[in-house]
Amino acid sequence: MSLELLLAAAFGGSLLTYLLGKISSGLRDGFAVFVSVILVAMIAGLYGKIGAVTSYYHFMGLELTLRISPLSWFFAMAVSTLGALSVIFSLSYMRDRERTDFYYLMMLLINASMLGIVFSGDLVSFFIFWEMMSWSTFLLISYNRGSALAAGMKYIVFSIIGSMAMLIGMLSLYAVYQTVNIYMLSNLVSSASPGYLLFLLIVFGTAFAIKNAIMPLHTWLPDAYAEAPSPFTAVLSGMLTRMGVYGFLMIMYVIIGSVQTLNMGYGLLKFNYILAWLGAVTIVIPTFIAMLQNDAKKLLAWHGIGQGGYMVLGIAYGTNLGLAGGIFHTLNHAIYIVLLFMSVAAVQYRTGGERDLNSMGGLIKKMPIAFIGALFGISGLIGLPLTNGFVSKWLIYKTLILNGSPFLAFTALIGTWGTILSVYKFLHNLFLGQLPEKYKDIKKSPVNMQIPIVILSLTILLFGILPGLPLKVINSIIASFGFKSLNVTLWGIVSETGSLNTINLFAAILTGCVIIWLILKTGPKSVSASQENTYAAGASIPEGKYHYTVDFYNPFYRMIKPYLKDFMDIFYFKLAGWTQTLCNIVRKTYTGYVGHYVTYIVLFLAVLIFMQLKWSLW
Amino acid sequence: MDIQGVIHFMQNYTYYIGAFGLIFIGLFIMLVKRNLIKVILGLSILETGVNLFLVSVGYISKGTAPIFSNASIEGKSMVDPVPQALVLTAIVIGVAVLALALSLAVRLYQHYGTLDLRQIREQRW
Amino acid sequence: MNDFGLFLNGINPVLFIVVPLGFAFGIPLLGMISKKIVKWVPVFVYSFVLVGALSNIPDVLDKPIIIQIGGFVPPFGINLVAGPVGILFSALIAFAGLMVSIYAVVYIKEGPEVRYHILYLLLLTGAMGVVLTGDIFNLFVFFEILCISSYTLVGYFGNKSGIESAVKYLIQGAIGSSLLLIGIGLLYGLFGTLNMADLARQISSADPVTVFIPMALMITGLGVEAALFPLNAWLPDAHSSAPSSISAILSGIAIEVGLYAVIRILFTIFGISDFIMFFVFLGVLTLLIGEMCAFSQNNIKRMLAYSSIGQIGLMVFAFAIATSHAVAGGLFQMISHTLGKGLLFMAAGYMIIRSGSMKTASFEGMGKRMPLTCVAFTIGAFSIVGLPPFIGFPSKFLIIQSALAKGTVLFTILTGLVLMGTVIEGAYFFRIVQVIYFKKGNGDSERNEAPIAALIPMFLFTAVIIIIGIYPKFVLGILDSAASELLNQIDYIRSVLG
Repeated sequence: MSLELLLAAAFGGSLLTYLLGKISSGLRDGFAVFVSVILVAMIAGLYGKIGAVTSYYHFMGLELTLRISPLSWFFAMAVSTLGALSVIFSLSYMRDRERTDFYYLMMLLINASMLGIVFSGDLVSFFIFWEMMSWSTFLLISYNRGSALAAGMKYIVFSIIGSMAMLIGMLSLYAVYQTVNIYMLSNLVSSASPGYLLFLLIVFGTAFAIKNAIMPLHTWLPDAYAEAPSPFTAVLSGMLTRMGVYGFLMIMYVIIGSVQTLNMGYGLLKFNYILAWLGAVTIVIPTFIAMLQNDAKKLLAWHGIGQGGYMVLGIAYGTNLGLAGGIFHTLNHAIYIVLLFMSVAAVQYRTGGERDLNSMGGLIKKMPIAFIGALFGISGLIGLPLTNGFVSKWLIYKTLILNGSPFLAFTALIGTWGTILSVYKFLHNLFLGQLPEKYKDIKKSPVNMQIPIVILSLTILLFGILPGLPLKVINSIIASFGFKSLNVTLWGIVSETGSLNTINLFAAILTGCVIIWLILKTGPKSVSASQENTYAAGASIPEGKYHYTVDFYNPFYRMIKPYLKDFMDIFYFKLAGWTQTLCNIVRKTYTGYVGHYVTYIVLFLAVLIFMQLKWSLW
Repeated sequence: MDIQGVIHFMQNYTYYIGAFGLIFIGLFIMLVKRNLIKVILGLSILETGVNLFLVSVGYISKGTAPIFSNASIEGKSMVDPVPQALVLTAIVIGVAVLALALSLAVRLYQHYGTLDLRQIREQRW
Repeated sequence: MNDFGLFLNGINPVLFIVVPLGFAFGIPLLGMISKKIVKWVPVFVYSFVLVGALSNIPDVLDKPIIIQIGGFVPPFGINLVAGPVGILFSALIAFAGLMVSIYAVVYIKEGPEVRYHILYLLLLTGAMGVVLTGDIFNLFVFFEILCISSYTLVGYFGNKSGIESAVKYLIQGAIGSSLLLIGIGLLYGLFGTLNMADLARQISSADPVTVFIPMALMITGLGVEAALFPLNAWLPDAHSSAPSSISAILSGIAIEVGLYAVIRILFTIFGISDFIMFFVFLGVLTLLIGEMCAFSQNNIKRMLAYSSIGQIGLMVFAFAIATSHAVAGGLFQMISHTLGKGLLFMAAGYMIIRSGSMKTASFEGMGKRMPLTCVAFTIGAFSIVGLPPFIGFPSKFLIIQSALAKGTVLFTILTGLVLMGTVIEGAYFFRIVQVIYFKKGNGDSERNEAPIAALIPMFLFTAVIIIIGIYPKFVLGILDSAASELLNQIDYIRSVLG
């Protein structure tokens, strides 16, 4: 199975899906699922076929190549699986919406370009696929109209800035080394001067930091996540944003190489140290901002930023444990954030697009599968033991503590506290508490929504109990970067400084659960009350007006709100305003009066002659 | 500078002075005048200056027409015919531009009711 | 080489000028027979020219075709030089001319139609003459043909904005041509020749100071048409008030031909071989100012016009770097701009007709009403911004690559500024795309597509944009030899003068 064929199938499949949509929507849906599932199978079949380079095209005298490495296989697998699940999920979510053909075209196109990104063997292909991903994402974010337009604009402006920075870096590499092949560059670049390497890290880092929404370049993300169609938000948050992580890994550990990257700078001003701190800041602030959100998707979006911080922290630290943690966290995050967005989407689907946390509640009985999805999702997000998030966070914490960075570890821990608080609000306001009157007759989510939710929930458990499965692949990634591989068992990690054994955990927790169950069993029977029963000590309550979930965390909210404004967003808006003003001033050059225009011509001539006389240009 | 020099200068370069004088006058008019007709007049003066300049490039003091019918006239004392050909073309072009400009001015007046260029500023920014 | 043979191996390039010119004057006669024939004349003429131009490509890559008019050998007679550059441009002009003339068959419905087609042919004849001629005064004459017909066409509708823009364009253009003519006169006075190759030969041994004044005059004069900042004040007015078909030609052909004349004069006649810092800065300035002005426009055609200024800035930047890659990139950018902007103007033309306004806000919900036109518009916009897999990407890629190949910090910073222009460009184009597709229209929403004759050229432009975008090799060969023709003064002189 060659990579060209894979990409041809991905891109061709997306176009064919669009065309089939013109014939019949059923055919299109079936084909979209077929294509995305086939891709998963194809990529799974590539497991272990590492290192095959195929040159597929010559562009502007450059050889464009595709190459599969452990890293790219890992990302590709995640991309295609989550993509397929989102497409399955979309089937009913998108039914009866307008422009569904367009939606599926873009979904599959984005998937295909992400596969292209991870399989690129050279920077030009990487850039081309990256750009295609950017504009198709823009089109899909804008899909919902209304406030989605502003979100789309914000996204694309940031995205263009990032890709332009990348373009400079890429072409400067080409100008210096006459090649854009990533693996040839990795041999050549190691001998470059530190200044040049820093320049490369900064330009590429800008691009990837924007995509991965590292503070202070994160402001596009909350709006984009909130406004995009929910199944796509899942893809966006799960994998698309994490292309930034892939990019960081590529530039830091593949192109420049671990030795050079980790030696960049001096003392506290080491490049990776600064990046790790940026990651830490990205963990803390967004997590607390998330707590203030009343929009379910925005809440998750801010967590998406915060979790990105963990990944960067892990990667930037640059030890084998940290890298493993960062990469594993990318996967874990993808799984549970997709699950969470799907749960929200399922609720949205039944409630008519409602995302306001203050007006929902008590859906647990009505939509049990969505609840289970949300429960597993937040468990993973918090990092409860026996969920996948626990393992990757454990790896990251361990790295930080082992290497004597207690402050970083502490900030990461604070992030987890904030996460616990805010996701509880999320779960409670959606599923627990009273059921609002208007949702009394709500139905369960459709089967095709339940399937991905169940699969992902099980995966969270699976990777939580058997972390060795993914860690084996991650181990080979780390080894390919030139780090010492970890000693991984199916049940965890063995190391001299402390091992992780999930079986012990599993046994301990199981015992605990049994004990609790026994205690509850022996206690008095609980009385189950109707969900609509809003108890108010006998006072009469106006029907439908009283709802416990309004203003969750209100006192705390009032306390921290002034400190947690998104200052960067405000700054960017100001910047946009200033740009607009500047543009308007510049525009005034063209006054409309011909006399001025004639003056310009005469002045231009005069300046030209003056410059020649003064500086002898020619 | 002796008298011979002055005569030489006057014979050979006065045309240039005149030509560039016209060019600058034309440009100046176009710079400062606000009435479209006056601006077009300035353009016309500018073009006349350019044409004069072109002719003077090929002019030789006391030269004759470049016609080879008379064998007694040497080629050296003939004026250069090429600039004259150029000027003829340039004049034709100038006339075309002028006519177009004036006709556009008429139409502009019909639209705006004025020829003051400061007021004809709907197309800007 | 045969002096007067009309058919060498390909079709003789003289015919690219003569045939359109002849038909331009024949149109009034044909108009007497039937008004319906007239609008097909440009289509017919430019299909012929396109075939002719393409048929010459293989020969030209080998060796430029020199045609002596009237059998006078250069430098005494006027000659045409159809090298790679000339043929590249004539093919481009013929292609754009053909497409826009098909578009105009349905687009031009009101006004003095017969005269439109005469002027249209004259405009393209002028452009074709400028790119093919090897004589500097001849260049001036063709330039004037180009300019005068475009002044007239800008005011074609005779409405307030059209006439106003035409007048302003005329005043600035006339000053420009006068300055050009003074420059030509000075050169003739200094060197006694008008042949470009002969001038080039003599200038290479002349005192740079004396040569500078004519050069400055000519650059300023041509710069008006080439829309260099700050000589480009006419452009947004003219491009936005002209009929959309003419805007497509003005943006796609006229300013590029102006820029061609500037670089031809700089590189070939004045023999500039190293990069020119002044023009590098001028290019970046033109680019940034164009993009910034476009950013806050809400009139679609004005926005596109300012974007053309920005694109011209990018080309100037590329040419000023003056390495063979950069010049090839600049020429490539010209092709991609002609295609992209031509497509945008054509698509915008019918969107304006359907919505009845040039305000961008009036395009809300257009994606539903005219889906094909809107797809064409979107692809044009993406291509201009330089997104893969459209033609704008390889051209921008080549330019940025050659700028960074200079390897200095200054050029890296300038490249950064250029790319900042791209960011602004992206912002306003993406905004328009959003308005078209993702805003609900409040007017009628029934499907009302542009007529088929307008869709055909749009479709072909789109196809070429995508094909060359994916497969730039189609043009890279001729671009490379065109770049070496521009940069290699000695070869040019040798091939013309023998």
